[in-house]
Amino acid sequence: MNVLEIRNLTKKFGDFAAVDNMTLSVREGEIFGFLGANGAGKSTTINMIASLLRSTKGEIDLLGRSISANARFAKSNIGIVPQDIAIYEDMTAYENVRFFAGLYGLRGETLKERTAEALEFVGLGDKHKSYPKNFSGGMKRRLNIACAIAHRPKLIIMDEPTVGIDPQSRNYILNSVKKLNEMGSTIIYTSHYMEEVEEICTRIAIVDHGKIIADGTKEQLKSIITDTKEIWIGVRSAEPVQVEALKAIPGVLSVRVEEQTVMVSSKAEVGNLNRIIQQLIKDQAEIRSVEEQAPNLEAVFLTLTGRNLRD
Amino acid sequence: MNVLNIAWKEIKTGLRDTKTFLLMLAFPIVLILILGTALSGAFSTSVKVGDMKLLYRSEVTSPQLAEYWNGFLKAAESQGIRAVAAEAGADGRKAVRDNRYTAYAELGDNGIRFYGSSKVSIETNILQGMLTVFADRYNLVAAAVKENPAAVPGIVAAWTDAGDYVREASVDPKRQPGSIDYYAMAMTTMFALYAAFSATYLIQGEHARKTAIRLSAAPVSRAEVFAGKIVGCTFYNFLILLAVVLFSKLAFDADWGSRFGIVLAVLATEVLLAISLGLALGYLLKGEGSRSVLMIFLQIASFAGGAYFPFGETEGVIHLLLNLNPLMWANTALMKVIYENDALAALPAIGLNAAVAAAFLILAVIAMRKREAL
Repeated sequence: MNVLEIRNLTKKFGDFAAVDNMTLSVREGEIFGFLGANGAGKSTTINMIASLLRSTKGEIDLLGRSISANARFAKSNIGIVPQDIAIYEDMTAYENVRFFAGLYGLRGETLKERTAEALEFVGLGDKHKSYPKNFSGGMKRRLNIACAIAHRPKLIIMDEPTVGIDPQSRNYILNSVKKLNEMGSTIIYTSHYMEEVEEICTRIAIVDHGKIIADGTKEQLKSIITDTKEIWIGVRSAEPVQVEALKAIPGVLSVRVEEQTVMVSSKAEVGNLNRIIQQLIKDQAEIRSVEEQAPNLEAVFLTLTGRNLRD
Repeated sequence: MNVLNIAWKEIKTGLRDTKTFLLMLAFPIVLILILGTALSGAFSTSVKVGDMKLLYRSEVTSPQLAEYWNGFLKAAESQGIRAVAAEAGADGRKAVRDNRYTAYAELGDNGIRFYGSSKVSIETNILQGMLTVFADRYNLVAAAVKENPAAVPGIVAAWTDAGDYVREASVDPKRQPGSIDYYAMAMTTMFALYAAFSATYLIQGEHARKTAIRLSAAPVSRAEVFAGKIVGCTFYNFLILLAVVLFSKLAFDADWGSRFGIVLAVLATEVLLAISLGLALGYLLKGEGSRSVLMIFLQIASFAGGAYFPFGETEGVIHLLLNLNPLMWANTALMKVIYENDALAALPAIGLNAAVAAAFLILAVIAMRKREAL
């Protein structure tokens, strides 16, 4: 069963189409990864699903009902974890969750139980009387999640929920997402961290210029680029590397350079490894290692969009 | 229920911010104290009367007149006038000129001669007035003795009360506020209007805290969010005003009249007007723009509304313009309620406050509908 169905969705700001005739569906029980660079149209799509923006054209159905005609029903069944931490610093953790859960119609004992349950779930049960101004970034992020889940939504939208936090909190949040999913929530997850998406998402859509350009499991997406190979060359320093000269080599699709690694994406059928190495020797880059990587989502994204996810 | 939930949250977080609460409480109280003390002279309707010392010489031979004169002296003494009989050979006029006595009276069978000091004219006039009353009455008694002696005891008995010589009267019989009374009222109404400032943050604050997205995503209508915020903010600001009113009453003995409920009703509707104004401006003009416009409006309204000094009678266009000011109509209503005990005078102010508040809210709702999110 599809929890969410989007058909021919378009959102225009003046002449600019932030979302351009998008169609996709999210099935019940999925953790659906939404990948796209800044300005690709992810947030606009999410805002339309959450009824924060009106679409210019197209339809969104949640649990089989149009959200435009059943806004209250749709809102009641969606929990949104915004990219920015959206909590009141002058209210305790408990009061924050209770206030937002109260807006979803929870009252009395149910409200108390669900509030406590949500705080326990994100590991803030013992901090329920504390004010968020005394919390670390990771704790605030977890409270941000608790505020979105106390009403037990069918669909949880998480927009970059791990931005700017320590690895421990990130792991906690990723485990929480998996647990929420196991408990029956369908999740839409957006992130700039490809490894997170790869780790937790059961299906991924890549968005570019307001359109879905690829959609499937990570294996399906990786299979799209079997005709390309990823060569990582370890060097003492990448400083002298002439990137444009590497790009000019036949078959090379893209070149990325980090401190001591040169990452070349190339057409699989073209035998150009010798020429790449010769160019690096010419650049006096002092080669230390050469290895061919299995295709990953980063490479898929780069191949499909021509830019890095964090561009 | 959502409205109450949102309103309660506004009240709770407002009260929890003790620094702001105390500042909002202290500011009007300090101004009441400063302006009320500094401008107390401008509001005073009483004149201090100094000691009155009457030097007299009595050469009366009629026992009836002597007895009546003694009765007058007793009555005068009960009014704080010190009457001293002049020693033989003493120059009474010189004693007055030397400022040792307020006035000098010479009493004979043919009448009274009075010499008053021009240095203390009020005291002199009082003594002169009392002696004039005494002389008139004595003449009446003298005539009665001749024509109808039986009526004399009755006439004299009716005059034994000291108040018969001195009667308090006022040019303006209405009660008037003292400076503390006036500024307690004027500062309270002025700060009621300043509640508009906090209202500009009601929605803008949600955007700044990023919580607007949660409110918009929840199954709550924008009207409910609006209503909750208005109710909460109005109640919170009204609580502050109530504290100012009570403090001024208890600490400064400010006069708030006997119709306390009506006074509070005027203040409550004025706060509602201010909140609606702030909310509408905050919605129509984003960011600091709304607060700049509001500051200009509030300064003009405060000045023209009599917050810093009361306006006298005005006429024509000026009168019309001044009365378009919410502060003016609130102050006018409260003056009548407090000092003339005229409860009905509050109705125009309450009605206008509610109508203008409704107009601003409609404006805010129209602006809100044009937006996609909160």
